[in-house]
Amino acid sequence: MKPLLTKGAVALVLLALIALAPRCVPVTHVNMLSEIAFFSLFALSFNMLFGYCGLLSFGHSAYFGIGAYTLVLILKHFTGMPLLLALFVGGIAGGLGGLLVGFFCVRLKGGYFALLTMAFNQFFFAIALKWRSLTGGDDGMSLSRPDLHLPGLGVFSMGRPANVYYLIVAIVLLCVFLQWRLIKTPYGNAVRAVKENDERAGFVGYNVYLTRLSLYAFSAFFAGIAGSLFALFEGFIATSVIDAQMSMQVTFMAFIGGVNSFFGPILGAGVYLYFTDWVSRVTDRWEFVLGVLFILLVMYAHTGLIGFVSLDKIKYFLRIKAGIKGTDK
Amino acid sequence: MSILELKGIYKAFKGLQVLVNVNLAVEEGECHAIIGPNGAGKSTLFNVISGKYKPSHGRVIFDGQDITGLAPYKISRKGLARSFQITNVFPRLTVRRNIRNAILSKRRIRFNQFVLVDRLTDVSRETDRLIDMLGLTAVRDVPASELSYGQQRALEIGIALGTDPKLILLDEPTAGMTREQTKEAVALIKRVAQGKTIMVVEHDMDVVFTMADRITVLSYGELLASGTPEEIRRHEGVKKAYLGKKRNA
Repeated sequence: MKPLLTKGAVALVLLALIALAPRCVPVTHVNMLSEIAFFSLFALSFNMLFGYCGLLSFGHSAYFGIGAYTLVLILKHFTGMPLLLALFVGGIAGGLGGLLVGFFCVRLKGGYFALLTMAFNQFFFAIALKWRSLTGGDDGMSLSRPDLHLPGLGVFSMGRPANVYYLIVAIVLLCVFLQWRLIKTPYGNAVRAVKENDERAGFVGYNVYLTRLSLYAFSAFFAGIAGSLFALFEGFIATSVIDAQMSMQVTFMAFIGGVNSFFGPILGAGVYLYFTDWVSRVTDRWEFVLGVLFILLVMYAHTGLIGFVSLDKIKYFLRIKAGIKGTDK
Repeated sequence: MSILELKGIYKAFKGLQVLVNVNLAVEEGECHAIIGPNGAGKSTLFNVISGKYKPSHGRVIFDGQDITGLAPYKISRKGLARSFQITNVFPRLTVRRNIRNAILSKRRIRFNQFVLVDRLTDVSRETDRLIDMLGLTAVRDVPASELSYGQQRALEIGIALGTDPKLILLDEPTAGMTREQTKEAVALIKRVAQGKTIMVVEHDMDVVFTMADRITVLSYGELLASGTPEEIRRHEGVKKAYLGKKRNA
């Protein structure tokens, strides 16, 4: 009962902070929080594959980009479509992309899998770059944010950063909840079994291929949602949403935060964005600093940053402070 | 009725004939041992039956259905389970989760994305019951990789049993065990696999002759003899090929 209570309390405090943030901090920070939200979702979708199934997708910006382009194209060509539906379709488009790529990739493991996903990433990048009439090539495309109509609640202008923030955070929280729940279902259990020993999982009756393929598609769906939120937030997209740099970035976020923990990638996204923002103001060579940090983390802290802030450690620390000897539960 | 029938099984690896025209029937409820010198093709035979390899020729009929060349997961779902000679469990998962993987599979809730596993009390109860039978209750929350060798072997068999198979293939269940451990393992198998149809590859002749109802002898990929332990003991060809030399060793 006790740990449940602590977790509930932590969750409540976090929710309150998230809800109150736009009233307490300046607009630039609200925007930063929006960014952290959709990049968290992107990093989580990446880690759904790597952390829970051992599949290292090095081409994950493909689905992020597909989601982003889909949203912009829908808002451009189907102006009547409700915003929420358009965002959802962005996710579906990402998921379909994942299904297509996964069909070829999930038979492979390890480095071969990673390289093939990378190759498909380049393939989608090339389409975005060369199909100028559709995507605008490297000139990109801008979108005008439509208003959000919520039946019974009214119309919310997406011109206000706070409204954009609330919409993004709400969708991200919903997606995070869905992902978190998914790993606790028998399906999540199968995913884990396939990660730990795919051969034995097969001999016990699990369809390894279908498990991997469906997970890849789910992951791509969430990456697509993240991408469409990105497009909504930025109001402008170019090929940078679908290039290798973006894939690298999400890999960084997940690893910095910690890939063996569900919430690690969220921390990673936050730290990555704040850190790069801060360092890039100090020096032009921010990528160098980031690279060094990444090397240090991979070498000395396999658990990522979340390893330093686990709930147990906090409790342990508090106990020492209070002068209570650590007893076994 | 035979639960498993092998009809003219051949298996070759790059020209090397490992199995040559193996014909065999396993009856329901019996414990059928496969013995033979090293390299006789025993493990290959298991791999052909359980779907790891496709036979070059021949048919595998299980429970009246042709399962030749099916993927392992499909064969498993039809009720044919196997354990491995080299422990092949889910190393970083706890004993409970190892067994639960099999129980969930048996109950055909492998792909459900709506219920929470921890809420499936039937599954937990069944998991705990099997763990208890395996004698692993004390270590049920320990990752499999941290178990003792004997416990890992028990878990290995437990995972196979968890799918509640009609036929279970045990590939050297006592491999690498001491006398004492072997005795325990045999007792365990007798306890947990009661009334099940078993096919077992085994090197330890004492184990074979105490457990098996019928014995099949393979030698250089060919079926040398098949019969009751008494018949095998008296079989001249078998003595020559195998038992005679091995007894004194």
